[in-house]
Amino acid sequence: MPKGKPSVFFIFCIKFKFLEKIRRKTFERRIHLKKTLLVLSIASIVFLSIFTFYTPNNTFLEATKEYDYYQSPQVLYWGTTGQDVKNVQWKLRNWKYYSGNVDGVYGANTYRAVRRFQRKNGLTVDGVVGPSTASAMGLKLTEAKTATAVAPTAGINRKNDAYLLAKLIHAEARGEPYIGKVAVGATVLNRVRSPKFPNTVAGVVYQPRAFTAVDDGQMNLSPAKDSIKAANDCLNGWDPTYGCLYYWNPATATSRWIWSRKVILKKGKHWFGL
Amino acid sequence: MGNRKGWIFPTVLSLALVLAIAWGYNQYTFKNEYGIAMINNYQRLFSDTKKHIENVQVSLSKALVSESRDQNILLLSRIMNEAFFAQDKLAQLPLDQADIANTQKFLNQVADYSYKLIEDHLEGKKITSKQRETLFNLQNNSALFNRELASLQDEILNTQFSAKKLTSRQREKMDKANQQMYQTRMVNLEKQMAKNPELIYDGPYSDQVLNKKPLGLGTNKVTEAQAEKIARDFIGTKKVAKVTPFEAGENMSTAKIPAYTFSVVPENTPKEMAIYIAVSRTGGKVIWMANPRPVSKVNISVNQAEKKAIKFLEEKGYADMEANYSLRNDGAILFNFALKQENTTIYPDLVKVKVALDNGEIVGFDASTYLVNHHDRNIPEPQITEQKARESIRLEFDIESIRLAVIPKGAGEVLCYEFKGKYKGSDYIIYINASNGKEEQILQLIKNENGTLTL
Repeated sequence: MPKGKPSVFFIFCIKFKFLEKIRRKTFERRIHLKKTLLVLSIASIVFLSIFTFYTPNNTFLEATKEYDYYQSPQVLYWGTTGQDVKNVQWKLRNWKYYSGNVDGVYGANTYRAVRRFQRKNGLTVDGVVGPSTASAMGLKLTEAKTATAVAPTAGINRKNDAYLLAKLIHAEARGEPYIGKVAVGATVLNRVRSPKFPNTVAGVVYQPRAFTAVDDGQMNLSPAKDSIKAANDCLNGWDPTYGCLYYWNPATATSRWIWSRKVILKKGKHWFGL
Repeated sequence: MGNRKGWIFPTVLSLALVLAIAWGYNQYTFKNEYGIAMINNYQRLFSDTKKHIENVQVSLSKALVSESRDQNILLLSRIMNEAFFAQDKLAQLPLDQADIANTQKFLNQVADYSYKLIEDHLEGKKITSKQRETLFNLQNNSALFNRELASLQDEILNTQFSAKKLTSRQREKMDKANQQMYQTRMVNLEKQMAKNPELIYDGPYSDQVLNKKPLGLGTNKVTEAQAEKIARDFIGTKKVAKVTPFEAGENMSTAKIPAYTFSVVPENTPKEMAIYIAVSRTGGKVIWMANPRPVSKVNISVNQAEKKAIKFLEEKGYADMEANYSLRNDGAILFNFALKQENTTIYPDLVKVKVALDNGEIVGFDASTYLVNHHDRNIPEPQITEQKARESIRLEFDIESIRLAVIPKGAGEVLCYEFKGKYKGSDYIIYINASNGKEEQILQLIKNENGTLTL
């Protein structure tokens, strides 16, 4: 019997030690948990206070950025040519972003190089050399030619309409083939000409509840090169819809009314109608 | 040991709670402010629309009473303005387009019709009894419109139509509210407006101009297989790898120019680089063709491009075309060609050709305007001499060139002397009617490095 006592005691001791260990561990863990909670709550306080007491005015900045983008022609994108492009290529080649020829043509290689450069330097990665990217490269792009415009015609151009149209096309028909993009733009211009709709491009585009992409803000994305090209083609008169005023996606259209329209053409995922 | 630090955790939590509440309240006030600003704007637009319609109605009644020509011109120009304003503001209200389409059309046509009447007045014509009747009808309609708006206004004032119904989260509620108020009223009105007879007059928004049937197509019907052959021939049979027709809708026949549309993939090119082409169902004419390939290098001059375009047009059966304007975009140049017949430029017969500046390939072609307008014309002899027409232009206008031209006017066409020139440094084109010496139109040319824009 006495033989067994110490062994029981021993077992008890071990058990106790073990329990103690566990208890200590949980205690440590609890402290650890407390620490994380503390850090988390401080972080959330900082986050919340930033939200509450700091109103960012970057919406305004963004708007001006876009405005600059289309008001100043000294923006280089896919397809532009000239000395400015050469300068950009030269810089990018020196910094090993670009390996092609310095030929002054903004092509695929230049586009990719510019994107790499923008990613490395924390700029908006859009493959377009605007004022900010240019200044990051230490370049100054040539000013727009304004000397040709005389007083009575100064400031009159189609750029605004073209850009607005391009934004809408980009928002509504990004994934569509080229003809689908032009078709969307053409419906807008057909609406401008129709007495049933507002008489300006902006009036049609921003008409409440006319385009879902305008209502949900996708409209404010920067348009891709293709959309700008499509917008120009529309304004030059190409109408692949033969005068259609409406288009809708038969898979997602929610309005029952739209099914009463006359279907003229089916292109990509859109149907076009009168 | 644990007790001493026990206060930290609850404090932090309660602080976080306080901040969260502050943040939430802030957001709530923001939301309300935006909502109020928006609803104020809508209220303003609504009240303005109503005021403008009232003015249209009153001016129309006055115009019906008035016998004085001068007074009528003033009243009509007022009607035109007010109707355009009303239309503009109505379109900004958050209503479904389907429910206001005819109302908008009515307003646009009122404005357009007034403009037409002003023109008639200025030419010295009296209002005919038929026009008087039309005006009377318009007045009736605007009265109806005004009545609906007035009762709608009462409802709005009574129910305190609020911003909350316009947030997207409560779209359902808003739709309900709309159905109850705006929409039902507008739908009623819309039904009335749709019953209006077509307004017959010459203006850009007149039904006569909108429903114009194409004149230059011919008569023979073309099947899809024939159309495909025409498309292949147009592009050049050798280069074509695959032709896919686009699916037409059930109502293709109601389009302005019913057509077959194809996407043509040339040999050795990816599918994304397809050429698009349209062939009319009657006459089998190519309406437009577009090749959206990118152009990266500029190798040829504008003159060379123009020669290529002319050669192309001759090959396709468009003889006697003359390039008038050009516009450069993305490495391609677009020429506007007009028909030249017996030394007279016929602007309605317009064909556009786009030439790529790298190899001179034709990447775009658009004959839709030509096909709508082209017919065999008997161009009348001008009634007045060039010298006489010259007298109707102000002396300081520095004339560079003079020629005869047919320009579109409303649904018809007029023969004019075209004077191109400069005034105080900017370029203009002035059209003087060749039968009565009246100034028909003035265009301003805006030149920049990409080409010329006419306004």
